[in-house]
Amino acid sequence: MIRPRWRKVLADLVGNKARLVLVVASIAVGLFAIGMIATVHDVLSTDLRKGYAAVNPANIQISVDSCNQDLIDEIRHTPGVKDAAGVFNTSLRLSSDPGQWIAVNIEAITNFKKMDINRVSLDQGVWPPKKGEIVLERNKLADTHARLGDETLLELPSGKTHRLKLVGVVHDLTIGSNDIGGGFFLAPAQGYISNDSLASIEMPDTFNQIYATVTGDPNDLANITTVSNAVRKKVEDSGAKVVNVILRRSIDHPNATYLDAMSGVLYILGLLVVFLSGFLITNTLSALLNQQVQQIGVMKTIGARRNQIILMYMLLILIFSLLAFLVALPLSSQASYALLEFLASRINFNLLAFHLSSSAILIMILIALVVPQVAAFLPILHGSRIPVQQAISGIELAGGGAHRSGWAERRIRRLRGVSRPLLISLRNTFRRKGRLALTLFTLSLGGSIFIATFNVRATLDRMVSQVGQYFLADINLTFDRPYQIERIQALLKQVPGVAVVEGWGQTRAEVVLSGGKVGDSLLLLAPPTGSQLIRPVILTGRWLLPGDDRAVALSEEFLSRFPGLKPGDTIRLHVNDQDIDWTVVGFFQLAGKSGGLMAYTNFNSLAEVMHTPDQAITYRIVSTQKGLTDAGQQQLGNRIENTLRASKLKISDITTGQHLSNSAGQGLNILTVFLLIMALLMALVGSIGLMGTMSLNVMERTREIGILRAIGASDINLMNMVIVEGMLIGLLSCLIGFLFAFPISIWMSDTIGMVIFDHTSPVNYTISGYAIWLAVVVVLSSLASLVPARSASRLTIREVLSYE
Amino acid sequence: MLASQIAAHSQARTSEPIIRLRGVTKRYPGTGSAAPALRDIDLDVFPGEFVAVVGKSGAGKTTLANMITGVDRVSSGEVIVGGVSVAELGENELAVWRGRNLGIIYQTFQLLPMLSLLDNVMLPMDFCGLYSRKTSRDRARQLLQEVELEEHTHKRPSGISGGQQQRVAIARALANDPPILVADEPTGRLDSVTSETIFKVFLSLVGRGKTIVMVTHDESLAGRVSRVIYLADGEIQAGTA
Amino acid sequence: MNASRPAPALTPSGAPETRKPLIEMRRIVKTFHTPAGDFHALKGIDLCFYEGEFVAVVGRSGSGKSTLVNMITGIDHPTAGSVFVGEVEIHRLPEGKMSIWRGKNLGIVFQFYQLLPMLTLLENVLLPMDFAGVIPWAQREDRARSLLDLVGLGDEADYLPAEISGGQQQSAAVARALANDPPMIIADEPTGNLDSKTANAVFAIFTRLAGEGKTIIMVTHDNSLARRTGRAVYLSDGGLVNSAGQEARR
Repeated sequence: MIRPRWRKVLADLVGNKARLVLVVASIAVGLFAIGMIATVHDVLSTDLRKGYAAVNPANIQISVDSCNQDLIDEIRHTPGVKDAAGVFNTSLRLSSDPGQWIAVNIEAITNFKKMDINRVSLDQGVWPPKKGEIVLERNKLADTHARLGDETLLELPSGKTHRLKLVGVVHDLTIGSNDIGGGFFLAPAQGYISNDSLASIEMPDTFNQIYATVTGDPNDLANITTVSNAVRKKVEDSGAKVVNVILRRSIDHPNATYLDAMSGVLYILGLLVVFLSGFLITNTLSALLNQQVQQIGVMKTIGARRNQIILMYMLLILIFSLLAFLVALPLSSQASYALLEFLASRINFNLLAFHLSSSAILIMILIALVVPQVAAFLPILHGSRIPVQQAISGIELAGGGAHRSGWAERRIRRLRGVSRPLLISLRNTFRRKGRLALTLFTLSLGGSIFIATFNVRATLDRMVSQVGQYFLADINLTFDRPYQIERIQALLKQVPGVAVVEGWGQTRAEVVLSGGKVGDSLLLLAPPTGSQLIRPVILTGRWLLPGDDRAVALSEEFLSRFPGLKPGDTIRLHVNDQDIDWTVVGFFQLAGKSGGLMAYTNFNSLAEVMHTPDQAITYRIVSTQKGLTDAGQQQLGNRIENTLRASKLKISDITTGQHLSNSAGQGLNILTVFLLIMALLMALVGSIGLMGTMSLNVMERTREIGILRAIGASDINLMNMVIVEGMLIGLLSCLIGFLFAFPISIWMSDTIGMVIFDHTSPVNYTISGYAIWLAVVVVLSSLASLVPARSASRLTIREVLSYE
Repeated sequence: MLASQIAAHSQARTSEPIIRLRGVTKRYPGTGSAAPALRDIDLDVFPGEFVAVVGKSGAGKTTLANMITGVDRVSSGEVIVGGVSVAELGENELAVWRGRNLGIIYQTFQLLPMLSLLDNVMLPMDFCGLYSRKTSRDRARQLLQEVELEEHTHKRPSGISGGQQQRVAIARALANDPPILVADEPTGRLDSVTSETIFKVFLSLVGRGKTIVMVTHDESLAGRVSRVIYLADGEIQAGTA
Repeated sequence: MNASRPAPALTPSGAPETRKPLIEMRRIVKTFHTPAGDFHALKGIDLCFYEGEFVAVVGRSGSGKSTLVNMITGIDHPTAGSVFVGEVEIHRLPEGKMSIWRGKNLGIVFQFYQLLPMLTLLENVLLPMDFAGVIPWAQREDRARSLLDLVGLGDEADYLPAEISGGQQQSAAVARALANDPPMIIADEPTGNLDSKTANAVFAIFTRLAGEGKTIIMVTHDNSLARRTGRAVYLSDGGLVNSAGQEARR
């Protein structure tokens, strides 16, 4: 048997279905957003990295000229080394469609059973490949146009081709971790063969790449460095030549910066959403309790103590919260899973066993249980303190002395010439300032987050298009060796559609660390003086000038890899077997730190070092037609390739500018998609908040609507009044939201900037976020006011006035 | 209930008054120089009396009732009910005291619409905790039976007529067995036949020793109670107290 | 539940039979359906009101007098029967149209004033003009001020309702009822919440308006007021009772 007071609580809960839905929805939408954000944040920042560590990625990657299994075994027994493996890596071109060649990095593995570093997982077909077979990695699989079972063609150094059968597709999380100048998104297609196949592709059966993992903490760079030095000594002692050394922690996924960026955004959004839903809940519940004042009065006259009343309403709110929690939990889980699966597939992560993160559930419970109670506490206390007589009469009897008209009211009172119905709307809006402030704050916060998300998205879009400025040429052509520039230019000018041909120097170089040891590899590019095919974004310092001698402009990753390095400093680079000092003139921004180390120098400086004056290995070609699509560029590329083939020149790679800039910008693009999803989430929270607030506002006004009816208000009059009031609040919130959007945009943009570029850049303010939010507010606030107003205007006056 | 029985109870005047008002004045804030709603009221009500406070609208009747129930506070003067000075109780103590000592009946019934009649009557017992849950259920049934609504026990207030609702309100007012009932225009919204049944319930309660103060503008009821107080413009008319 | 007292259909005496009535109620029945059974608030009322009359509708609480005027104002709908005001059978109007008609033709005064708390007195009086749009824009403010002057609130025009006394609020409500210069004023217990002095002041306004040719129907339970009107209609338990007799006593 339930006590009558609890029965009242239950009856209040289900008595007004519309209200129940509004209140639960208001609380649930906040919980949903928080749960989703917290879960995605947690999974992104820990689970995905754990997933990466689970493939046992190499902590030490040493490129050597050549070595054998003995050295590997020796390394394996070096103190601090947990495991070591040797592989042979080479770059070739692969074709599946006749005439279509794409660059592929081939990794030859000697003993698949023993190969436990950089584990791959099988998506389709079989693993490992046998002699005459190849397995491809799934990410660039589409570019190769190869399907399982196809015979793929490899172009060999001699110019011959060799067939390998595609027998499997695998997923390799380490793609981009061993490459230079581009990271995951610019990495070429990846293929795996058995060492048995090496001879048939004209390669020696040896190793040129050593992978090792460390004992102790694999996430401690100092530990890894110590071990690496020991390993390196072993390599050098064996007589092999170290080409470069790359050290990575087991959590350093090549795309980790994008995760960090998303985590950063989520952290900010999470913080704001906690506030937002707190205000939303407060707002909703105070509206709810306003409708209970009379009943509180009645209960007090029949002996209810304040504590009893407070307890009753706390319980009521607890049930609302629990319902909201139950609604939000599965939705949150579903939505988080969908979003994470999308992200994981795009940035090459594995979403292992998905679960709502425990901290997300904890936060949700905390917010569901605590925030509504805190939010409702003041209104409950106020309601329980209202003198009985006032509560019961429902009329604030002669309490006029206490009424002081505020600034806004006086201002509005002066508005002559404003029609009375409009005046009611205006006056109503400003009558309860506390409520108004709460409503405005909630709605404008929701709006500003939405708009800010849009702005940051636009900022990222700008960065994506800036990436394109590095790939202005229609075709990027790389030969197997340098050729006389004049010869190539003359040759290519014959190809229809070719307008400009620039020869660029390009080589791989290594940073020389203190102590003279070679360290990280970088891609050194050398455009000709005054090249029009690159328009860099400078972070600090300046770009190369025509007169610069042995000067370099460095990519953003240098800033985080070598803190303290600044324009004017010198950096020692190992180029063409010489250690040479270069003057740093500035740092440029490409597509983020995950793009790896890249440097630009003047053509002549590099040509001098390489002893290849007037020769270039790579060429940038511009079409006579402007704004070619990827397909158009592809056609031009085919024509060029045919011409060069006819001249017996060997191409090692030919890629369209569009393809390069798209690939380079892909990471940022995923971020913008992610931000769009977040913007939609914010819009959802904001609009449900808007709807709830507006509806509850109008529900309170039933009696007034009756009076207006009695003195001649038509349907249109009533609708107008309610809509104007709703719109007024909506537009005011828009205005404030527009202002709030600026600091929030900057905050989010700076967070992303610091994570991806180690540098902040100005925010792009896009009109679309503002416009969309304005439209959402206009539509929703009128809808949310109209629906309850319609039902109120349908009541007869007798019913309405008998509310007293 | 016969007039002679009421007279018998009126003899209780010799005992201590159960309600005592001394110099009670009530002024509403904001009305400025306007006349106070109550002006210097002295009144004694003795146990077992059935007092009607009669006056026109605006005479201050409801204000007077509110002073006795502690629903509203005096501007000056003293109200002592059952030996307790109402002014000295805080809002919370007042609620507890009211629940046990007073039953209040309103013109508009003021039942909680979402609760059944039984729950409405049980609610004061639930709040005050004078009776066990089992007892309060039995008591509520008993009270509803007394006002002849036992067959409607599980209906909602909206499911019964106004007169029936008022009888439920009376049953609720009696829930904690308070010695005093204060009724503000209890028949104000009822037709004459229904009013009569309500009035008869009051008479029988007085017969059982309850003290009732009833505010009304119906002078025809005046002759049927033990004493009539005439109020006009906030003052007790001479010779009626 | 209800006394089955006979409710004789009466022809209003003292009013010339030949005149066409301004308000004509024909066999008005109002039954409230409660789950406890039907409650007959009005049991077949035939009643006419003529132009320029000041009529009191008198009865005890629950007698059906408020329900009766609610039929005229269209605030409530009869269960059976029809109400003609002039040529209009008002209950055939939909709620929105009815409201517009009411705004132009009726001034309503409620027991609880029902001024809009967020508007000043002046604005409260201007409001019905805005809705009805009968009074030209330029004249509205002057008219509103003169109406407030009429009820003795000329100096309080810019006050909010909460800043004045109940009697003053009721006077303002009367001014509001006059906003569109309607031919009829319907007042439901207009003095019900006022002390006797203020009540007299409000009543005096009605008397004056009646003198100026307005038709006034006032619901009251106060017999003493009823005696001071042109005619009184007595209601008891949903039926008319002998008002002719009461009239004769005057």
